[in-house]
Amino acid sequence: MSRRSLLRRGGALALTAGTGAALAGCENTTTPVAAAGGGGDGKGILGDPTAGGPVDSAGIPLARKDYPVVLPRRGEAVKSSAKPERGGELQIYNYADYLNPAVIKAFGKQEGVSVRVTTFDTLDEAFSKLSTGGLEFDIIFSTPDQLSRLVGRELIQPLNFELIPNLQKNVWPELHSPFYDVGPRYSVPYTVYTTGIAWRNDLLDFDPSKMDQPWDAFWSPQAEKYRGKVAILDDSREGPGMALMRRGVTNLNTEDPDLLAQAGEDLKDLSRRVGVKVSIADYETVPAGRVLLHQGWSGDMIAGVISYMPKGVKPDVLSYWYQKQGGPIFNDCICVAAKATKPVIAHRFLNYLLDNKVSYENFTGYVGYQTPLTAIDAQKLFDDGVVPKTLDQAVVTREAYANGNAYLTLSAKGLQLWDRTWASFRNG
Amino acid sequence: MGSRWIWRALAVPGLVWLAVFFVVAFYAIISVGLGNVTTLYEPVPHWNPLDWNVGYLWAALKAVVPGGDTWDTFLRTLIYVFVAVVLSLAIGYPVAWYAARHAGRWRGLILVLLVLPFWISYLMRMFAWTNLLAENGYATRALSALSIDTLFQHLGLLDGSDWLGGQHIAVILALVYGYVPYLILPLFAALDRIDQRYIEAARDLGASPAGAFWRVVVPLSKTGTLAGIVLIALPMFGDYYTPDLISGSPKTAILGNAINGYVQGGPNKSLGAALTILLSAFLLVFMLYYLRVVRADQRAAAGVA
Repeated sequence: MSRRSLLRRGGALALTAGTGAALAGCENTTTPVAAAGGGGDGKGILGDPTAGGPVDSAGIPLARKDYPVVLPRRGEAVKSSAKPERGGELQIYNYADYLNPAVIKAFGKQEGVSVRVTTFDTLDEAFSKLSTGGLEFDIIFSTPDQLSRLVGRELIQPLNFELIPNLQKNVWPELHSPFYDVGPRYSVPYTVYTTGIAWRNDLLDFDPSKMDQPWDAFWSPQAEKYRGKVAILDDSREGPGMALMRRGVTNLNTEDPDLLAQAGEDLKDLSRRVGVKVSIADYETVPAGRVLLHQGWSGDMIAGVISYMPKGVKPDVLSYWYQKQGGPIFNDCICVAAKATKPVIAHRFLNYLLDNKVSYENFTGYVGYQTPLTAIDAQKLFDDGVVPKTLDQAVVTREAYANGNAYLTLSAKGLQLWDRTWASFRNG
Repeated sequence: MGSRWIWRALAVPGLVWLAVFFVVAFYAIISVGLGNVTTLYEPVPHWNPLDWNVGYLWAALKAVVPGGDTWDTFLRTLIYVFVAVVLSLAIGYPVAWYAARHAGRWRGLILVLLVLPFWISYLMRMFAWTNLLAENGYATRALSALSIDTLFQHLGLLDGSDWLGGQHIAVILALVYGYVPYLILPLFAALDRIDQRYIEAARDLGASPAGAFWRVVVPLSKTGTLAGIVLIALPMFGDYYTPDLISGSPKTAILGNAINGYVQGGPNKSLGAALTILLSAFLLVFMLYYLRVVRADQRAAAGVA
């Protein structure tokens, strides 16, 4: 498989966070009993009086921007005075091709350790393998909706932010204490990305961004000409989510069965109209011109510019549109494993990745996914030739982050609803 | 006495291999499919058969009957595999016959050529086609120059001109292309074993060349043909990457895609496991038929001897 084909697969799958099952000791129930809910006083969430936030009836925290969650403290963070471990191997668990090898190498040299990256394909797979307890890593890459179950199973440890000064120094202020991990206690942000529409402006004879409702481009008569060359993301949240946004639904975490039924119908309609494909290879198929209109991730387009332009094709044939009000936007995060054998070096690695220069090299030299650092501004990216002007909307801004929506943890019932909607379309 | 034990001991590695990598693994799938889930939809396998819960199997069964969620997918799978096997036979049998009987001094070369596809992994060969069949790919241009695409369009087999745009025919042909070598080799072995004297005897007794072929060669190669069919049909039923690479459209999704979708992530892993059990049970029926034919054949052979 090519470089990043599995990169984001499942990244935004709504894997129910939380630890309700283990904590409530109610395994083996035939019918999951969790119900949606945003209420609850949040006192004593997951058995920690200092933690709080809304939970559903199974005890799963459902973090929302307006309902921040403080994760319970499990275990002790390393001391500020702790000495960095010497020699040996720093073990990282990550998606494939989600770190610039040059950056890893430089860190290893600087700290005198060898760094080893083990990869997973989906966060579900990563969680299952970590849960067995057989894998010992120092650093785990993940997404915010995974945090509560990682904490619940005691797979990650609290961080000492005195060892990660770059968070305060370099990262967007709104991510200093994010709503999904107030404090923060366990995570630092890694990359930010949006979901939008990617297209080949030289081969498509219309401009989706000029339409009244750009998401409708996929269902439009103009698109029917490109039958077989239209694709949406292979993701149980992104697919139905796009169908919802097309109908003007603003809550991307809705658990309304009628809305999702409509979304399912709309997706099937897309099959009939344009023979839509499902794929997460937008970084490659759009530059290659095999797909001309693709629901895509912002980072994939920039990665396309960095690594996937065919010979003789200029990067400015790629265009990207993003819904500025309420479009999907979110970030990934990095944690230190509970069983880390090099917790201090791991902290130093997190800090290193948030260094302005390192972060920029990681982003523009390889990964294509942007880091939420104040020093990275769109103008610099255009000036450096990293991003052509046609992809200006693929640059993630703080303004977009403030106005955007995110696919967040659903209740167990809601998760099932979304997955069924997706499967019934996906299985044709 | 002693030598008998040596031969039995030689079977041990194979049995251990099967036990560990097939029986245990398959039992794990059964335990998940007949198990349960936590409130977070994490599968909880039920290892003890007394605890088995048929809920997911029942749900999977309801999904693959007419009117169920996966019925269309199931039907499509059957059609794809059937057509692909028939085409593979139509292509493979003459090749195997020629290689076994008429290749003369080219025989060695042809055998090498038949093994050649195994040098490159299946996945790589499919990836190659995604480029060859792209809009400006060599294969697309060649097919267009030969007007094969227009022919297919007239026959209603190709919708538009994009071979990779979710076409049934492209997926079926890709399956044929991918698996036909696995059919030819056992067929070749079977045809090669047929005693030339049987055919000569048929001719001496007045059969036409075609008659001798139908009445002697085809029946004598039945076991080999069936072995070849089993060898290619089983993996075709479980295939999911071929439709993914050659089409990627839900219109061409087969059961393997459905199972892959459920198992990759999300809350329905148990349903995926239950579908796997169903598919295996379905394939077991074919397998049993094959074993019966082989046994009958062996008995007949023993009778002749």
